[in-house]
Amino acid sequence: MDPLAELKQTFFQECDELLGALEQRLQVLEEGGTDPEDVNAAFRAIHSIKGGAGAFGCTELVHFAHAFEAALDLVRSEKVSCADAPWVLFLRCSDAVADLVGAARRSEPADPRKDLIEALEQVGKEPPASAAEPEEAPSLGMIAALDQLLAQVEDKAGPAAAPAPADDAAWDLPEDPDNGAPLLRIDLLPGTGLFRRVIEPRALIEGLAPDRVVSLACDLSHLPALEALDVGECHMRFEIVLQSRLSPEQVSAKLEMSLAPDEFSVTLAEPGEAPAAEVVQPAAPVLTVIGERAPEALVPQTNAREAPTPAAPALHHPAAGRPGAGARPNVSVRVDLDRIDRLMNLVGEIVITQSMLMERMRGLPFEISAHTTEGLLTLSRQTRELQEHVMAVRAQPVKTVFQRMPRLVRELAQTLGKEVRLILNGENTEVDKTIIEELADPLTHMIRNSMDHGLETPDERRAAGKPAEGTIQLGAEHRAGRIVISVSDDGRGINREKLLDKARRTGVIDPDAKPSPQEIDELIFAAGLSTAAAVTDVSGRGVGMDVVRRNVETLGGRITVDSEPGRGCRFTLALPLTLAVVDGMVVRSANERFVVPITSIVETQHLASTPLEHLTFGHEVLRWRGEITPLYRLGRLMRGSSDSDETIIIIAETERGQPVGIAVDEIIGQQQVVVKSLETNYGAVAGASAATILGDGMVALILDIDAMLRIAAQPRALPELKLAG
Amino acid sequence: MTLQLSEQNRQAPAATEPALRRIVTFKVGERTFGIDVGMVREIKGWQATTPLPHAAPHVRGVLNLRGVILAVYDLRTSIGMGVTEATANHVIVVVNMAEKTAGLLVDSVSDIVDVQTSAVRDAPDVERDEYGLIEGLVLLDDEIVALLDISAVIRAGEVSPANGQPLRS
Repeated sequence: MDPLAELKQTFFQECDELLGALEQRLQVLEEGGTDPEDVNAAFRAIHSIKGGAGAFGCTELVHFAHAFEAALDLVRSEKVSCADAPWVLFLRCSDAVADLVGAARRSEPADPRKDLIEALEQVGKEPPASAAEPEEAPSLGMIAALDQLLAQVEDKAGPAAAPAPADDAAWDLPEDPDNGAPLLRIDLLPGTGLFRRVIEPRALIEGLAPDRVVSLACDLSHLPALEALDVGECHMRFEIVLQSRLSPEQVSAKLEMSLAPDEFSVTLAEPGEAPAAEVVQPAAPVLTVIGERAPEALVPQTNAREAPTPAAPALHHPAAGRPGAGARPNVSVRVDLDRIDRLMNLVGEIVITQSMLMERMRGLPFEISAHTTEGLLTLSRQTRELQEHVMAVRAQPVKTVFQRMPRLVRELAQTLGKEVRLILNGENTEVDKTIIEELADPLTHMIRNSMDHGLETPDERRAAGKPAEGTIQLGAEHRAGRIVISVSDDGRGINREKLLDKARRTGVIDPDAKPSPQEIDELIFAAGLSTAAAVTDVSGRGVGMDVVRRNVETLGGRITVDSEPGRGCRFTLALPLTLAVVDGMVVRSANERFVVPITSIVETQHLASTPLEHLTFGHEVLRWRGEITPLYRLGRLMRGSSDSDETIIIIAETERGQPVGIAVDEIIGQQQVVVKSLETNYGAVAGASAATILGDGMVALILDIDAMLRIAAQPRALPELKLAG
Repeated sequence: MTLQLSEQNRQAPAATEPALRRIVTFKVGERTFGIDVGMVREIKGWQATTPLPHAAPHVRGVLNLRGVILAVYDLRTSIGMGVTEATANHVIVVVNMAEKTAGLLVDSVSDIVDVQTSAVRDAPDVERDEYGLIEGLVLLDDEIVALLDISAVIRAGEVSPANGQPLRS
């Protein structure tokens, strides 16, 4: 990948994190929080997004982020109080930023959201006066900031040596001028596009960790005539003399991160080199003139100098030479997921090789194998440990999925006219990324379902004596080697009469059946019984909870529901911690082996002791726990041949929870197998979800019970069955 | 020859086409086929595959190549000459395509030869070759070598354009 694309990708990854942080902080504030740190964090997040977006030329994103940032800054600088701030608008804006980031990531054109920008520009303004133009504001703000900076430096460097302004922590420099560090002269000759690259000269200088700024002069001789002046352009040059513990090379290296090589020079300064004070002088009048041109734009931007510097990430941590900067919490490394995947693959290989060794060992005479077995068992334990550690590296907090949900809830609440509070628990619960990727759809669906069918309208809620605002809780926890995710609401619960009535009418259950309340609730997962009878554009998209159940079970998970009429409803989803490895039962049909996932197996029994009934076309059924259960022979289904000698019946469960018998020749054993995709180099295989490599190096298909039954239902399977029957 | 050169332009611009193509040749029965050497990842002896249910007839199944699962296609079946009775003497040519890696079951690998790009002729319109398996023909020592379009070989037999039935010999 070319380096720029790589950087861009990193930027987008960071955006995801920043957007999550932004939304989280805004959410807290929206719920009445007043902690300035939340405001600051939200501001920093949007500021960083803006900075990166500027660097990668995402114009719409920059404009929008800028307007957003300016509005947030009003809150941050307490020009608008936390209580008055339009947090709902800000949350919508954070959604819009997410959209713009998404569009930029896909290199698609984006809606610049002029509507929201206008709304943002009205924040903190009584009458809709002439709004500040977003493009101009930053540079003006920076010029203003620079103006202050220049003034301060003059104060410090000047003979009067006035004390530094109390509010200015960043310039808290050692006063001792004789600490022996050499004087460096730095000439900054930035190109006119400096501000568009979101580089602040002040931050550049700060980043050099100066012990003392001896002098700082601004050369404005390159300013064009006023009528030709574009305030978005930088026409200033700087001449800085400072004392730093950094060597000229280190200073150069730091500057190179933000500036082109021809934009600066670093030399050792002559002792006593004085600031060219007269050069600074023109600054004041010129800036005043600019200020008069758009005076109101200066107001919200006076604090811009406090903002972190986005375009030069290295300057975030000017650790070198700063006391106390060494201790950094949460040391972490950003690793490409591909690399971890490769590592995971390799561990998978080791698991296979090791089971191969085990298998070979069994064929050896005892006196030879006894010596080696102990070592192999140790290896086996270590391999499993290694596997667990690599899995832990791949694990991600469910936060990455959970943090998409507040937006969903917000948007749905608006569409449905309901008032909803979403509470997230256990966001930091970690699970393998293979599961994370698969979580979003079921969760989205379950939340839609709760919002649409579970929660009542505010009026209904008040009438039922509940608070008008409904609550949805989304939680995650680890339990018994699985991740358990629950979505619960305090709504009306499942309407059992309606559900039962519908189930009877559509023939899902027997008209005379007397199901228990729990059994009725479970009907919500039956196909064709989605309560989307009242089709809405929220959840009535033709898919119901049956699809959610199917998806969840494809992942080797289970979903259950608990409902209490009038009090609410809870869906609980239990998923394996990874999809990279499954526990399977290895079975044989003729001379081929297959893996049946343990999660789909209910029990096994001998074929000989099971009474079978032959129906038409060779269809067979068996009696199992009083139910008539269809029986399929693995050889016919998966090999299209009836030359096998079945002795064992595996009772498996379909996604709908119905039992089905699968006849196999032999059960070879139970083991953990590494899941290998068949689609990477081939394509989907009927009846199998994936494949694995067994100890002898042969490939075995991992069976997907429901997909296998779909083969049985296909007409082309019939001739086989006819022959066999 | 000049005419054929201009027809070559369909495949790639003449400016970037090298004058020589290095070809791996292999045999199925009496016929010789070839593919560009750059596509060949490795050549290995036949090893038993795991059959796939309800796959096209030329799909021999999948095998494990150092942890990667790939499908093996019987070239004999693809060209409509029946099914190879695979023995230890048979060979699997492992080829890299744009996104996938696949194995091609052939009788034996013959040689690696350089041919003039200009000497490659277009395949004649053969009625049976409805899949466009043959990308070009080249004459080597009085022997016709058919250069294969591997992705077409793999597609062949999956679904026949005519009746939805896999292509059989």
